Amino acid sequence: MKAANESSWKQLIPPEFLEPNWRFWSFVFISILGSILIVLYTVPVYDGLTDPFYTPTVLILPLVVLFRLTCYAYRKDYHRHLFNHPNTCAADVRLDSGKRGYTGETGFFRIENVHRYFMYTAWGILPFFYYDIYHSIVYTGAITVSLGTVILTINAVAVTVYTFSCHSVRHLIGGYRDCVNCPANRNSKNSLYRFQSRLNGHHEAIAWTSLIMFVFVDLFIRGMVAGIIPNIVLIHGVL
Amino acid sequence: MDSVTVSVYRRDPATEKEGRYVDYVVPREEGMVVLDAMKYIERHIDPTLSLRWNCMAGKCGSCSAEINNKPSLMCKTRIDSLKDGKIKVSPIAAYPLIKDLATDVSQNWDLLKRIPPFTPREGLERPWRISQVDIERSKEFKKCIECFLCQDVCHVIREHKAGYFGPRHVVKAASLDMHPLDSLDRSEFMNKDAGLGYCNITKCCTEVCPEEIHITDNAIIPEKERAVNAQYDPIAIFLRSRRKGGKR
Repeated sequence: MKAANESSWKQLIPPEFLEPNWRFWSFVFISILGSILIVLYTVPVYDGLTDPFYTPTVLILPLVVLFRLTCYAYRKDYHRHLFNHPNTCAADVRLDSGKRGYTGETGFFRIENVHRYFMYTAWGILPFFYYDIYHSIVYTGAITVSLGTVILTINAVAVTVYTFSCHSVRHLIGGYRDCVNCPANRNSKNSLYRFQSRLNGHHEAIAWTSLIMFVFVDLFIRGMVAGIIPNIVLIHGVL
Repeated sequence: MDSVTVSVYRRDPATEKEGRYVDYVVPREEGMVVLDAMKYIERHIDPTLSLRWNCMAGKCGSCSAEINNKPSLMCKTRIDSLKDGKIKVSPIAAYPLIKDLATDVSQNWDLLKRIPPFTPREGLERPWRISQVDIERSKEFKKCIECFLCQDVCHVIREHKAGYFGPRHVVKAASLDMHPLDSLDRSEFMNKDAGLGYCNITKCCTEVCPEEIHITDNAIIPEKERAVNAQYDPIAIFLRSRRKGGKR
């Protein structure tokens, strides 16, 4: 129901520019920036620190990207802000959403239904992040904990929390059950499911945080290569 | 006295082809909600204004409307919460208009009848006992007051008429599916016949729910995941075929 005297200039600005959707725009920005940097300015390992874009994750990057693209948090973003179905919840500024064809997740996007299989591949990648932390500690032959180690650890934790706060994990660890505390299946607290559900409630924020962390770590290591940022050694001991 | 101007959608489909917004000036009182203004108009300015309301407490789900284009309950929207004091009240546009702000939401009763009803498992001891941990999930869905704001904001229902039952009905199906004493799995029905696949997780339904039910996270996505188990995941389909029958 259109307002009788809505000013016309507002109709010209796509609504996605008017409402906060930083996760979507940062995803677009990071995808472009990451792709350019990976190809043009290679920085595999520096001072024992492995850039997260160059861990073995990069070899299976397409699967990781598909994991993020089929994630319930990102689906909201691109369905709204890329395909404008609808670009906003407000009823008056949906532009041409109604006029264009729409199949939702019944046509091409039926692929979203195998999100859990992309998630399994993401599980396979997680250990490499922790190996990179280990490598950054022992690469000198002594035990060295530097600022970079701390940052790699925060990044690894963020991506782990993102992966395990997934809605598919929630389904697999108990969401599929109808009866948690029944004669066939005694679990009077269901604490794992409840804990994961709490994390899952913040899945969108966690998705964005872990995405931003990748770029932050990447820039940190590039900054070190350029000699702008020192890698401060916090602990150094003989092995 | 301080006053507030409310722009209200007026149309009688029996006599008028087009609707129009009519401005009414209503005395402002501290803490007043949009429904107070509507009741004032009905009593003191124009008794022909049609609107539905009942409990005045956000529990009956009758006074649904679009206030400044946002689907809201009139009884829960304070006048002083609206930006610039601009107030535009329209009927919920997803349903056929009866008159002014009253709409015909009866198609929802037919949809609810199509969802397979509660079917208790066989051989349950009486009285039925449910442990607290099992009550939590479906209890959230019982808060639904059937105001149909989620249906109204859903772009699939509003703009595409694709056959999707809508968020309210997924909540209903989820509340039955997650009932510990129920024996059916409705996810396949929801996906094949109720158009669950048309939902693209835009979460507008969750944003407008006056009962703050996490419709998308707790009802729609779990139903989608169950539908994946039933239709798309080969491992789950294999395990299901081995288990045959019995409640999970």
